[in-house]
Amino acid sequence: MSAFLQYLVNGLTSGAFLALVALGYTMIYGIIRLINFAHGDVVMVGSFAGYTMVTTLVAQHWPVAAVVLVALVAGMAITGGLGMLIERVAYQPLLNSSRLAILISALGVSLALEEGARIIFGAGFSSYPNILPAANFSVGGAHASYVQLAMFGLCLLLMLGLYLFVHRTATGTAMRALAMDRDAARLMGINVERTIILTFLLGSVLAGASGVMQGLYYSQINFIMGFLLGLRAFTAAVLGGIGNIPGAMVAGLLIGLIGSFSDGYVSSQWTDAIIFAVLIGVLVFKPTGLFGERVAERA
Amino acid sequence: MTPAQTTQAARRRRLAPRLPGAGMATRAGVTGAACLLSLLLPLLLSQYAMSVAVTVVTFAILGLGLNVVVGYAGLLDLGYAAFFAIGAYTSSLLELHTHLSFWETLPLAVIAAAISGCIIGYPTLRLRSDYLAIVTLGFGEIVRIIATNLNVTGGPNGLYGIPAATVFGTSILTSNAQYYLGLFLMAVAVAVTGLLSRSRLGRAWRSLREDETASEAVGVPATKVKLLAYVMGAMVGALAGMFFSARFGAIDPTSFTYNTSVMILIVVIVGGMGSIPGMILGAVIVVALPEVLRPISNYRLLLFALALIVLMLARPQGIWPARRSRPGSFTAPPEPAGAAPAPAGRRSEPGSVLLSVAGLGHSFGGVTAIDDVSIDLHAGEILSLIGPNGAGKTTVFNCITGLVTPQRGSVLLGGRSLRKLRPHKIVSLGVARTFQSIRLFEGLDVAENCLVGLAAHQGRLLARHGLLGRTTAADRRQALRWLEFAGLSGQAHLLAAQLSYGDRRRLEIARALTSAPLILLLDEPGAGTNPTEKQALMQLIRQVRDSGVAVLLIEHDMDLVMGLSDRVIVLDQGRIIAAGPPAQVRSDARVIDAYLGREETGSGETVEEVLGWHS
Amino acid sequence: MIKVYIGDRYVYDVRSYAALARGAGTMNGLGLRASVTAVLAALALTAAACGSSGSGGGSGGSGGTISIGVPVPLSGDYASAGTDILHGAQLAAKKINASGGVNGKKIKIVSQDDACQAQTAAQAAAKLMSQGIAVAAGGYCSTAALPELSAFHRAGIPFVMDASTNPQLTEQGFTDAFRTIGRDDEQGPIAASFITKFLHDKRVAVGNDNSTYSKGLAESTVSALKADGAQVVFNNALTPGQSDYTSFLTKVAQSKPQVFYYSGYYPEFGLMLKQAKQLGLHFTMMGGDANNDPTLIKTAGSAATGALVDTAPLAQFLTSAKDFVSAYKAAYHAGPGPYSSYEYDAVGAAAQAIKTAGSTSPGKIISALHGITSYSGITGSFHFDSHGDRKPANYIVTIVRSGSFAAYKKLDLSTGQWVNVS
Repeated sequence: MSAFLQYLVNGLTSGAFLALVALGYTMIYGIIRLINFAHGDVVMVGSFAGYTMVTTLVAQHWPVAAVVLVALVAGMAITGGLGMLIERVAYQPLLNSSRLAILISALGVSLALEEGARIIFGAGFSSYPNILPAANFSVGGAHASYVQLAMFGLCLLLMLGLYLFVHRTATGTAMRALAMDRDAARLMGINVERTIILTFLLGSVLAGASGVMQGLYYSQINFIMGFLLGLRAFTAAVLGGIGNIPGAMVAGLLIGLIGSFSDGYVSSQWTDAIIFAVLIGVLVFKPTGLFGERVAERA
Repeated sequence: MTPAQTTQAARRRRLAPRLPGAGMATRAGVTGAACLLSLLLPLLLSQYAMSVAVTVVTFAILGLGLNVVVGYAGLLDLGYAAFFAIGAYTSSLLELHTHLSFWETLPLAVIAAAISGCIIGYPTLRLRSDYLAIVTLGFGEIVRIIATNLNVTGGPNGLYGIPAATVFGTSILTSNAQYYLGLFLMAVAVAVTGLLSRSRLGRAWRSLREDETASEAVGVPATKVKLLAYVMGAMVGALAGMFFSARFGAIDPTSFTYNTSVMILIVVIVGGMGSIPGMILGAVIVVALPEVLRPISNYRLLLFALALIVLMLARPQGIWPARRSRPGSFTAPPEPAGAAPAPAGRRSEPGSVLLSVAGLGHSFGGVTAIDDVSIDLHAGEILSLIGPNGAGKTTVFNCITGLVTPQRGSVLLGGRSLRKLRPHKIVSLGVARTFQSIRLFEGLDVAENCLVGLAAHQGRLLARHGLLGRTTAADRRQALRWLEFAGLSGQAHLLAAQLSYGDRRRLEIARALTSAPLILLLDEPGAGTNPTEKQALMQLIRQVRDSGVAVLLIEHDMDLVMGLSDRVIVLDQGRIIAAGPPAQVRSDARVIDAYLGREETGSGETVEEVLGWHS
Repeated sequence: MIKVYIGDRYVYDVRSYAALARGAGTMNGLGLRASVTAVLAALALTAAACGSSGSGGGSGGSGGTISIGVPVPLSGDYASAGTDILHGAQLAAKKINASGGVNGKKIKIVSQDDACQAQTAAQAAAKLMSQGIAVAAGGYCSTAALPELSAFHRAGIPFVMDASTNPQLTEQGFTDAFRTIGRDDEQGPIAASFITKFLHDKRVAVGNDNSTYSKGLAESTVSALKADGAQVVFNNALTPGQSDYTSFLTKVAQSKPQVFYYSGYYPEFGLMLKQAKQLGLHFTMMGGDANNDPTLIKTAGSAATGALVDTAPLAQFLTSAKDFVSAYKAAYHAGPGPYSSYEYDAVGAAAQAIKTAGSTSPGKIISALHGITSYSGITGSFHFDSHGDRKPANYIVTIVRSGSFAAYKKLDLSTGQWVNVS
């Protein structure tokens, strides 16, 4: 029983990080129908931005809380800017081209970010200094740390913030309108280019936050960390019904849990196969994901 | 297509001058020169360059295979390396455990890949676009993980000591020999995929890529055709896998990762989807570019990535995009519009009930779209279905044609139930339709649009005509006859996207007629046509009826309805509120209520005034 | 093609109309010529790239030099490991050339990137042979080493490997495969011996990352543990590349081991050390030789203290390699990588064989390599057995103390006892 509880705690933690990344995939897909393969690498850039900040500030003996705050903000700012830059340079000129051209462009951006990071930071791993308190507590035989709890809370808070933004603000409404019908939205006076770039900004900021938080929590980062993370987050986005924001949040947590329970009760070496098998199984019975709506056939 | 883009596109619709046959000689010359060059390559290049060339050939074969899935059928596949792996592992395991030779394992490896293509394709058939992409990615990963985790596949170590291929008793060991073997296998792949692209199946794939719903609606069995794309692609991939394992004598799972799938996809997109020379060119770029950048090894992948982005920005359609259909296939003398007689189709006894819809009902998430709708369509008549927007007219069409399975009621065609049949099956039984928003295969030419329609009444796309069945002269003549009938024979070689609006409507009707229907369902054919076009359209619809095809028409244009219909049925809020000859219907009080609302019936306006019915 | 289209929505490709205007040209006009030019240009580029390098010619290099080929990963995930190995080779060449070279000729190191991929590796080997190498010395990943070995084998060129520990490599019956590092199946018994004879632990959990190396090491460790009478309570693989191994560790803990031996690489082991502490787990953690990396300590922080790692001794721990370490630091401003010293010895042994053979004829070099009775390398004295494997293999156990690895115990081959590293 305590093992079960432990798997639950572990799964929710990794799932929360995953959900933040999955949101970016789902938002960008929703708005321009692009699987943004570079998104996992944007998380990686966020991690490295945070790493640079943390190591610099720790060397200058800043208090831990300030270091964490500044690193988070810096990471989010840099990935936000990077996201907008990527959209402007590599995607926008291709918005009216075939969707495969833009997909290959995204793959190019992904590889360029990875290789750029490798050249700057080296091919090895970098480690965040272990500055967060390691104190932990135990409930019903399961161990968790206070930092873990705080990270989980912060993830939920960011997701809630995004949800409210998308559903309660005019800009958010514009984003949803754009996702449904780009041309109709344009005709209604929505600035399409601006809204698309804003979506990239938001998605990338969340990716940056996730990157810095993972760096602080797990310590270890490297230039290809975005790959497996991106793959699982993308899977989560599809499982939740790609384009559906609450769907991505729930499915992110779900994939975290599936991964954890598979590690625990089956075997880690089969985990990715199991995650994909679950995904395929769900899609066979519900072709648009868990929360995706059936798109009515327009005759 | 959006309205804005349509106009923009229309402005650009400038017909490129077509000189049938011109350039064919150049083409043949270039192809010949390229073949000769590729045969002589070992004389020109070093051993190292030849080993690069062997890898190029491997990727070209892979690109050709994936091209069937992505380029022809338009299905995004992110896990193609799975078939590469299955070919490599099947052949290697057989060679190691049964001592079969390379050539003896070839058919078995190809069959294994075909079976796995079915397995991968089957659950994905209902999925569209990007959901499909992630599922293929998932399958690719699952295959790799299985290969890594099982003992029979050697686990992470993979398999060793795989014998080299032998040709006439000689082992293929040197780069030059491997190159020729690879070139031979590539030639096979070129021939097979080239033939496929020109076959009926190839056209069905292209129509599917252009518009899946429309292609089902003209009789293409979409699921089967999609599955075949996976199977054909898988078989070619297996060829590359076998070649790979025989080349290195050792394989392990790290050669078949997601990255490999992505590299193959890059070959296809960079080369130019659907184009065979494009695949070879794409392979040269994907393999040789990083090799050329060897001296700056630290930056080579970065430069490769940047080159990829720039290439896509500069040429989103790829370096050597596929050609359109061959010129000169359709050069028939133009006939006066609408004057051609209807080609022979299926005929039915005039006056008998062809289509019988009874008690039809369907709701979308609690909203009742149609309720208790019953319609009898007689042979040789034009029956109009009218009603205010949202009355459920198109839902009736969708229920009849199988796009929607009705929740209640029955649809009988000559006594046979159409309920739960797939749309393509219904077409082959004799019910053809057009769409409210015209759905043509924009990227196919006018004649090809019609040829897709032929698939339906020729029945089994594959069984009867063979997998690689090429379009026969008879097929062409038949398609042309229907084009003549619709007054489009002069435009046969244009892309559907290049037609004017009125012609687009006519083409959709011609395409539907090519499937030799008993019944034609027209969904607002008059929408957006100008008075001249409308007259021509009415003439065409009468001709259709006169040729023995019963017409069920949804229309808002009352001139058209009143001028054409033998009978009119009025739907409101999903129910039939009136039925009868046009004159009777337009004076029906319930019809007036439906169009004007009950409160305003006292205002003195007549429905004629409101709808502009002039008698 | 006018429109490339994937998806549920019909998206018009306005751009392609421009292509259409050039349209028929693809068949008969400018477009075709442009495309053909593109193909020829691409071919020419390739040819040029090959031509420029193909000029070396002749076996063993021309004029006053003898070329030694070093295929290593210089791009991709393992680029840094490859660079460290290449530096080892370059230092060896420098040392040999400073003392007059071999047979009156200078040693020249030529390297090619194998990217740890089979196809790239085959091309790297072909490229090296086109550059006229007499011997190959290097390699990192087994995935790349295998096609390299078969390419060299077909050409009859000897290949001395510095880092590829997969037993399979020297089990193919080739006489031209050699290595200066121990095989995975030799390390396993050493690790098992330490666990059972020094730690006296009976319940052992073994984890690997499902890579060739890691799985091989795990298998040989498990069988040695069983032979030594220990109980293997857990034996499973994890998926590398994740950040979270808490659930994997929870599962390990369920088997109640006294020691957990991980045969994978340091990134995962570092995370596991940290996460084991967070989970409140208290068994001993020990890693195989791929865990000997300072990143492990940086990642795990204080949680790394007490972690054990068995390894072929790093240059830092060898008195025989002191000069090498300082020369390396002077030249490259960083300490040597784990395999730099083994590459140094690979190049050194190859050079000595060329000297003994008195020629660059591959056959003679191969006989000379087999003929070495005791080569005094910086990693210790060794010779090659009939398979080409290094004898004797050399291992120690290190421990993490106050933020760095410290030499801990070594197996005294004469007594079979674990003793302090002097």
